[in-house]
Amino acid sequence: MLELRIAGRNFGQPVLGEVFATIERGDRICLLGPSGIGKTTLLNAIAGLDKSVPEEAVIGRDTLRVGYLFQEHRLLPWRSLNANLKLVGASDQEARSLLEQVGLSGYGHYLPDQLSLGMARRAALARCLAVKPDLLLLDEPFASLDPIMAGELKALIAGILDSQPDMAMICVTHDGGDAEILANRLWYLDGKPARLQWDDQIGEAGIVEGLLGKLRRLDPTMS
Amino acid sequence: MKGRAGRPPLWSYWIVLPAFLLLWAMIAWLLKSPLLPTPLGVLDTLIRESVSGELWHHLGATLGRVVVAFVLAMALGTAIGIVMGRSPTTNALFDPLLVLLLNLPALVTIILMYVWFGLVEVAAVMAVVINKVPNVAVTVREGARSLDYRLEEMATIYGFTRWQRLREVWVPQLFPYLMAATRGGLALIWKIVLVVELLGRSSGVGFQLHMAFQVFDVAAILAYSLAFIAVVQLIELAILQPLERRSSRWRQPEAAHA
Repeated sequence: MLELRIAGRNFGQPVLGEVFATIERGDRICLLGPSGIGKTTLLNAIAGLDKSVPEEAVIGRDTLRVGYLFQEHRLLPWRSLNANLKLVGASDQEARSLLEQVGLSGYGHYLPDQLSLGMARRAALARCLAVKPDLLLLDEPFASLDPIMAGELKALIAGILDSQPDMAMICVTHDGGDAEILANRLWYLDGKPARLQWDDQIGEAGIVEGLLGKLRRLDPTMS
Repeated sequence: MKGRAGRPPLWSYWIVLPAFLLLWAMIAWLLKSPLLPTPLGVLDTLIRESVSGELWHHLGATLGRVVVAFVLAMALGTAIGIVMGRSPTTNALFDPLLVLLLNLPALVTIILMYVWFGLVEVAAVMAVVINKVPNVAVTVREGARSLDYRLEEMATIYGFTRWQRLREVWVPQLFPYLMAATRGGLALIWKIVLVVELLGRSSGVGFQLHMAFQVFDVAAILAYSLAFIAVVQLIELAILQPLERRSSRWRQPEAAHA
């Protein structure tokens, strides 16, 4: 579905090294790695937001619909949730059912900044889904949420992934526990310049445990 | 931007302005000179000009020129400002010209337009537009430079069309700059239009001031000035302030916090 042939990216000194990978439909990738290693940079490169990465480096993106959940909600603050959803192509009916799906029924006429952080992030997730994405990109979706809100959002995303088996996902996270719930494939980005150190399919729970054990030894701060 | 701290309470207007009127009346009464008529004398002239229709004719002519020049200058200046703010190449190309135009006295533009194109309406309006466009462009350029890159990325991901980007992403962010350009723009355009009329038109407030100047009719000069001030204030209160309130409503979301 998508083939990465990223030759690297320099930002004074190299930030990202070569990244070669293929992403298939139904892949649920968690992108792990130390802080500041370039996980968001890689996500932006895949999304086509990085102008210094040529378009040929991400083969197949043109044909895909992409939903990107940024760290901030990035909804238009002067437009209601309904209007924000309709701007990316949702009908009235779709906007209503999307908001219902993310637990924001009745909030359609609210402005994004009237919502709490967790609600705004769910509204942004609704916008990602409104484009009926083939590829869902999540940049630290659970960062700065309290444990309860993070848990709810995790369950919500897991449910969405279950109901759309053809959709691929790449989720940037610090937390190996997220991977256990969401991923069937692990990417570990590290080094200078950063490269994918592992690209592993997760078959059974044992392998997950093994990988996470490896991760924890490498980065003791990881929970 | 809202002038909350800068605007004095309403009552100050009701004390200072009548006091000023009283002072004027006393000095005029003491001097008893036709060169400083009393407030009542000016009011008398204002009523006479108004009843005869002269006032409305000339005020209308001035207002027409202001509106046309304003719309043209804002449209051109906004387009140039956005392009300059977004593209370093265009900025490098136009910035020297902008510096030149910003420092060119309005009077020079007016004289040149009249000399080159004759004492015609188009030359008059063009002179005003040329004077105003650089100010609008510089203000809007500041706004275009500060556009939020995060919303740009969002618009890229979700495939916004050029029109959607302009209308939904850029204009709301540029709005405070557009308002500043409008405020500054109207103030400047009003004044330049008067000079344009004084130098080369046979209608408008500027033309009337010119006629009154030639016969030292101070009462007429003050009467037209007062009418002029009233119209400018009316536009501020009836159009600009409501527009500003309406478009900045989303900035105070605390009112209905979830």
